[in-house]
Formats: sequence, structure tokens, C-alpha cells
Amino acid sequence: MNTVVDDIMMKPMSPVAAAPAASNRPSKVSARNVTVHYGVKQALFDVNVDIPANQVTSFIGPSGCGKSTFLRCLNRMNDTIPICKVAGEMKLDDMDIYDPRIDVVELRARVGMVFQKPNPFPKSIYENVAYGPKIHGMTRNKTELDEVVTGSIKRAGLWSEVKDRLNEPGTGLSGGQQQRLCIARAIATKPEVLLMDEPASALDPIATAIIEELIDELRANYTIIIVTHSMQQAARVSQRTAFFHLGKLIEEGRTEDIFSNPKHKQTEDYITGKIG
Amino acid sequence: MTDAAATASPHYSSSEAAAAKRRRRYAADARLRGYGIAAISLALGLLGVLITTLVVGGYPAFTQTMVRVDFPISTENVDPADPAAGNFRRVMSAGVSELLPGAESLAEVRAITSILTNNTQFILRNAVVEDPSVIGGTLALKVPASDPFDQLNKGLINRDTPEDVRRLNDQQIAWFDSLREQGRISTPFNWGLFTNSDSRFPEVAGLAGAIVGSAYALMVCFLISFPVGIAAAIYLEEFAPKNRATDVIEVNINNLAAVPSIVFGLLGLAVFIQIFGLPRSAPIVGGMVLSLMTLPTIIIVTRNAIKAVPPSIREAAYGVGASKHQVTLHHVLPLALPGILTGTIIGLAQALGETAPLLLIGMNAFITSPPGGVFEASTALPTQIFIWADSPERGFVSRTSAAILVLLGFLIIMNGIAVFLRQRLERTW
Repeated sequence: MNTVVDDIMMKPMSPVAAAPAASNRPSKVSARNVTVHYGVKQALFDVNVDIPANQVTSFIGPSGCGKSTFLRCLNRMNDTIPICKVAGEMKLDDMDIYDPRIDVVELRARVGMVFQKPNPFPKSIYENVAYGPKIHGMTRNKTELDEVVTGSIKRAGLWSEVKDRLNEPGTGLSGGQQQRLCIARAIATKPEVLLMDEPASALDPIATAIIEELIDELRANYTIIIVTHSMQQAARVSQRTAFFHLGKLIEEGRTEDIFSNPKHKQTEDYITGKIG
Repeated sequence: MTDAAATASPHYSSSEAAAAKRRRRYAADARLRGYGIAAISLALGLLGVLITTLVVGGYPAFTQTMVRVDFPISTENVDPADPAAGNFRRVMSAGVSELLPGAESLAEVRAITSILTNNTQFILRNAVVEDPSVIGGTLALKVPASDPFDQLNKGLINRDTPEDVRRLNDQQIAWFDSLREQGRISTPFNWGLFTNSDSRFPEVAGLAGAIVGSAYALMVCFLISFPVGIAAAIYLEEFAPKNRATDVIEVNINNLAAVPSIVFGLLGLAVFIQIFGLPRSAPIVGGMVLSLMTLPTIIIVTRNAIKAVPPSIREAAYGVGASKHQVTLHHVLPLALPGILTGTIIGLAQALGETAPLLLIGMNAFITSPPGGVFEASTALPTQIFIWADSPERGFVSRTSAAILVLLGFLIIMNGIAVFLRQRLERTW
């Protein structure tokens, strides 16, 4: 349907997302009364949040506060953990994420994910990026696939570094390059939402700065949710911030407001370093 | 450290007591290392004794005494139109009677014939059928010497033993020495060990049937246990719910790996042969029984190899929207493959050396030709060793050791392949 690379990359895959949301939810992703149990232990308590499109929303909070758990609910990665039970309502546009009729495979194509530790497949750089489009049958021939792969790598800011060695293993890259390769892999399936679980925590400061710049650029085309331990990072990259503590969403709002004028005592304590 | 320093110092670590404690610790380290070295030396020593015994006992079997005889192939005895139907007993007698001058009587010729293997007339027939142009001429053929003369030639029969307790009498030894003087005796490499099948006569007994039978049985074993084992492991590791039923299955698989192999032999006899009506002594049954033993090994190594695949790779694949089978087939299995292959080869190597179950299903039968397929009766390497070890002829003593060396050779090759595969395929991530 599209021939120009950027055109392919801009257009979201699903027709539902392409049409403006008709309901009274202006948000891209919304959660209502989400609770999560791991066996008998409750990890999340009644989380309600609306995440707007084309913005970076960061989840902050001390370790074990449930921010990663919540993130992993959004593309149902928690399905792979048998003891994990999710209740409540989560929507991507108008689609109920936990509707049993939902195809998880399609959901994960629409909601891409980047993990804490760079985890490229032990295959070539090209194969890493091409894998998603291939399994979803997004391209009809090699030319289209090549376009998607080069487009994704360019978007991930990795093209100049790897263009001559696309057939070398992705695991041979440096940590920061590997993480950008993982971002390229995630955006190759043309997702609408990009989930990032502490994407820079395993990287050095220079690689972190590159990833942060990249996140800011990607915002134009994707709704980005990032979990981070670093409050400075949250302040640098995100427009909105949500603070989690002990499985509860304490406060959510514009990043400037959260950092300069928190409404809750716990948020203030965390930001000023008294807890966490 | 001086005494002055020790008493003056306020720190424990520089005190005399601390130094003594450290010395004891180092001594304990040295002792532990000594025990380890002693244990390894003992193991290597015993292995060395085993291998040396086998080599010393088995090397005579790798050569075979041959006697060159000129057989006159007259058209009278062999019809050129139908060479296979010739009277090769007469051809043999004609050849033998010319070997030693003065052998006139029939009894003497018959006695001299005993220098050659009992199979001489069949060897003759095969040679003539293969090359009928010798009919009417003379065929110079190297024939294996029979076992006692083979032993004599290799120095395994002591000539100083009194004649009445010796295997060969003075006359027979004199005949043999006379043949040697004529230059008719040679001792080449014993290719027959690998090209002949079993025989009652050690000089023409070989391992071909056993090797082919073992190969067929291992092939059947691999074809059954490899796919079934991997499928079972994938199900248990990736799909099975974690509940009591799967726990029971898991425990039983582990127990199955420890069941004595003879029990599997009984199962093969009772089920495969009695109920399914499969043929006795056949590699198909042997392979099926061996696969029962290999299966738990393969399931266990495959599960471990799958478990060892880092979860981050799985998450990455799920994260881009791969379905369960795509995650398993595209990512988990390729990464687990080196481990699976090494485990499988080691499992097959175990199966190759397994004897007890094969005895029960009749693969220790006396079979003189290699099997033409998996349904034909056959022996296997370990059972052939078992049969030969049981045989009274002296030639089988060295052949037993030689067969063990051949079996060990196959095992070393298989383990070598496993090591090679592991190093070649193992990837880092």
C-alpha cells in the first residue's frame, strides 16, 4: 500500500487506531481499577491512569512498587507468568486489552516493548529487525522487508553505525547499540505504543544520552511509556510522570508539576530522596 | 614475621595464632588437592590397565595367518557353464595334496587340509564364481589358516609343551614349518574382522554382522527417541501446566532413566515380540527397546537445554508478537540444539554399549550374515562380544578383546562428534 519508507513507518497498522477515537476517552491507553496478584501476593492496587497519545509518560517509584508489573500488563507480557492474575479494565484506544477474544500476538505488534537488558536475538542485525515484520506477514516481498528494516534502523539512529554490517550478529554490537537495535526491532512492527522497561539502566551515560534523545524523537510517532529508576531521566524525557509506591499509583500528572509541585507527601518524599 | 612484631602488634591478623591458623588452612587446601590428584591418578591408572589388557589381548586378532595354496581348477571338477555347482571339495584336496611332498594317503591329505580353515571350499567357490576365467588353470589363493595353526604362527602355542597335552602334535607343527619354509605363510592385516560375519571358526569370524546390526538398531533408536524425546521435552517445558499430574510425569521420567536395562529387555520381549508379534533377534525390536532407555535421557537433556536458554530471548520474541510455537521453534530450539545434540549422541553411545536388553530379545543369536534390513535377525556389537567371550576356541579370546576395542572405538568417535558439535554450534549471547 505504501512505497515510501517513512510513510509506512508513520501510519499505524490498525484501522481502529487510524480513526480518531470516537468515545469519550481522549487517551491512547487507559486503565481502570487494575489489580494484579502474583499468587496470593497483591502487586497492584486499583490503578487508574490515562496515557495520552504521542507523549512520553514515565513511571517512577522505588523498587518493587509495581511500575514494571503495570507496564507488562499493557502488552500482556504477564500472560507468560502462570501465577500472575490481572483484574480490572485496560484499554488501548477502544480495544479491551484483556478481552479473551483479543489476539495477544496482534496486541504485541501494536504495543512494542524494549527491555531493561539489551536482548537482541543471536542472529544477524538484519534478522533481528526483520523478524517481527516477517512473523506478522507485514511485507509481501524482500524489497518491502528491506525498506522496513532500513527504515526502522534509521529511526533508531543506528543506521550509520551498522549499515555496512547488517549480516553480522546483533550480539556483537556494544550495549548502547544493542539497545537501539532492540528499539529498531520493536518499531519494525509499526506499533502505536512503545513500552520501555528501564531501557538505559544497563548502559553507560553516553549511550544513555543517545537513547534519551532517540526517545524524544520517537515521541512524534509513538505513544511512549517508560519505566525508570532515575528521576533525572524521567524529568529529561517525559511530558507526564506517574509515581507508584507499594503497588499503588500515588500521583500522575505533567512532569513539571510532579517534580516541582507534588500533591502527595509520598511523592515529595521520593523525589527529595527520603524514600526509595 | 618476628616475635617482637607479633607481640607488639594489636592486630589479630599479624599474631602468631593467626599465622598458625593460616598455615593449617593452607595445609588443608594442599591435602584436598592431593586427594583429588590421587583419585584421578587411580581412575586413569585403572583405565590404563583396562586399555593395556585389551590391546595386549586383542592385537593378535588384528592380523590373520594366511596360507597361499595353488589350486588346480580343472574343468573336470568345475563346469565353466555353472561354476557355483563345482566340486570344490575335490579342488581343495587337489590343491592341498600338492602342498607337501609325500602326502599320499587320503587320511594324510585330510590331516593336512586341517591346516586351512574349514570354510576353504566356500572361499574357493566364491573366488571362482567371481572370476570364472581361472577355470582350467591354477588359482593361487591365500586361505586363512585354521585357529590352532594361527595360534602357532602368532607364538601363542608353546612348542615346548609335551606333545600329549599340546593342541598340535609334532607332525602338524612340522607340516606348518615346512609350509613356512616354502614361503606360503603370511600374516597380513585381518580385514576379515570387519568384512566377515560371525562363524564357528574364529579364523573367519568377523564383526560385519554385529556392526551392521548395531547401526540398524541405533538408527531405529534415534528415529524413535529423538523426535519423541524433543516433543515431550518441549511440551513439558513450554506448554504443560505446572500441576500434580506433570509433577508425577516428571518424577517418573527421572525414575525411568534409572531403571535397570534388563527390565526394558523383558518389556521388549513381552510386548514387542509377544503382543505385537515383531520378529525375534531383529534390530527393529532392539532399537525400540534401546529407545525406551534413551528416551528419558534425551527428555532430560532437552529440558535442561531449553531451561538454559536465557529468558530474555524468550521475552524479546514474545515482545515482538511471536506466538508460542514461533518462540519455541525460531528461538528456543536453535539455541538449545547444541545441548540437545550432545545429549542425544551420548544417549545413543550408551545405547550402543547396552547388552542386557538385547540378550533378552534374542540378539545374541548365531547369525552368519549381516542383516539385510531392520526386520532380519542380527547380532549387535555388545552381544557379539558376549557370544565370543563365551566361545571355547582360543582364537575367540583375542577376537573378544579386539571386538571390545572396536566398540570402544565407535564410542570414542561418537563422543568426539558430541564434543565437536558442542564447540561448533554453541553460541554466546
